[in-house]
Amino acid sequence: MIKDSFLDTNVIINYINYQKERSSEIVNRCYLYVINKKGLFIVCHAVIRELYNIIAKLAVIHKEVLAKIENENYSLKDSKNLSKRDVPFAEKLYLTHKDPDNKSIRETFASQRDIFEIGIERFLKEKVDKKVIPLEQISIELVNALREIITNYADCQILSSALQYQKNEEIFLFVTADGKDLSPNGYDFLKEQFGINNPKEENKFPELLNLMFTKI
Amino acid sequence: MVTRKTPQQIKEEILSHLNVGPLSIEQLRIRVESNWSTVNTYLEELERERKVKSIISADKAKTYQRVFGDTYFDIPITDEERKRFRTLFSLIIKKYKEANETPNKTQLSKAAVRVINSPESGLSELPTVWYLYGMIPLMIADPSQDYQEEEVFEHKQKINDIIGIFIKEKQGKKTKQIQKEQHIEYNDRLYQLADEFLDLIESSEWNKQEIFEKLNEFFIACPIDEEFKEVFLFTDRFISTVRKLSYFDKLETHRTKILLTFDALWKYIATYKFYKTISLKKNVSKNLLNLYLGNPLAVRKDCVVEALSDLYSVYWSKIDGKEIKMSPEVQKVREIMQDWTGED
Repeated sequence: MIKDSFLDTNVIINYINYQKERSSEIVNRCYLYVINKKGLFIVCHAVIRELYNIIAKLAVIHKEVLAKIENENYSLKDSKNLSKRDVPFAEKLYLTHKDPDNKSIRETFASQRDIFEIGIERFLKEKVDKKVIPLEQISIELVNALREIITNYADCQILSSALQYQKNEEIFLFVTADGKDLSPNGYDFLKEQFGINNPKEENKFPELLNLMFTKI
Repeated sequence: MVTRKTPQQIKEEILSHLNVGPLSIEQLRIRVESNWSTVNTYLEELERERKVKSIISADKAKTYQRVFGDTYFDIPITDEERKRFRTLFSLIIKKYKEANETPNKTQLSKAAVRVINSPESGLSELPTVWYLYGMIPLMIADPSQDYQEEEVFEHKQKINDIIGIFIKEKQGKKTKQIQKEQHIEYNDRLYQLADEFLDLIESSEWNKQEIFEKLNEFFIACPIDEEFKEVFLFTDRFISTVRKLSYFDKLETHRTKILLTFDALWKYIATYKFYKTISLKKNVSKNLLNLYLGNPLAVRKDCVVEALSDLYSVYWSKIDGKEIKMSPEVQKVREIMQDWTGED
């Protein structure tokens, strides 16, 4: 039986980042998963919010790189506006575009953002079948219970949404490309630990499909 | 023998304490050495007389603020500053009259700013702020008021000379032009870019490339402020929505909506600029500043959110499967970012 897919943020972003014959293995896998769609695509509102946060983050990265191009003494590493994970990408962008006389770089960055955002918005408009669990309906108790096992708050909200939606549905796939907390071992640990921590809770967990660990 | 204070005395005392900044009934009660009910009664009377207004502080306590009605957002200035502002306005109006002119509000306030910002005037302590149309005196300049010289300025002659030069320089110029020149004179890039963007949008011939270049510059000039994250967030959202809309529809057809959204965005940014300049100049605590400006900022924020959502809904309705071409430069950037998922 074909199962529906509850998509994690990173799957959507990897799909958007796809470039023919230029993409990494994980980006290819996410792209193929989306274009060979089977069953329904479900996205929760916590993922949608996360997508818009990522859009805003990309704008900040570009702005910081442009600041560095204008003033080479500006430190990307010490910037309060960039997260640690974003710094290497910002530095790479800077090194490739550091010529201050290149006036077209602003437009190039802006066009990249356009394409990135339009990709996300097209995906939400055309590929998503169900948008579930509005932000105000996310269970605080469930998020707190998950936070005892997973530290990232946004991840806990997404997982909580998946668990809440799973309650009244046939088992669906939780599709992610997360290499840490939601690796197959991490997910098994999460289910086990959650059961120990919350013996009275009866939560059905969706089936994990981690594209980082599964070839399709 | 203890003499009882008259109602008038109590009300004057209340007003004098509120000159310094907003206070709660409890704080006023202690200061005027009266009971809660009496102070509350007189505050209600003063509110009816429009001399005070109640506001809600961060801790949700009812707090009262003095209403002068002669400064922006009723931000308090000292009596000394008030006198100096009125004298300065009176000198400017007089000088305009000598040239057989009556200044409008922009001319009056911009001339005052020129004087205040000229070190030789000796008036540099008078507070000025950045707001909707550029730098203005904190006290509202109203050409219809009968301002009098309430003190003799030490550098009156120099001040008159500065005013004279200003009048000559701005003769025959329209209000908008005077504002634009001031934005250049005091070198605020964001205000200059807003002027240039509006010129492009209001022009009968649309040049998409020029508009985008201006928006790219605006994107760079817009600050990322930890305390006011929305300033950059809303600016970026506006720019990106306008740009994305252009892939699916003729931008010109949405001129009014773009203008209205930018207007709402600019009002928010200008109120933020007001907040920032006043916090530097008047050395006011954040809590106090939030009492004066918290509400206007919140209202303007709501307006931008609504306008942006309106513009975005137009864009959303236009998204289709049309192929979007990518330049080799954009492909290169995408390649660098391909493993970036934006997650923390």
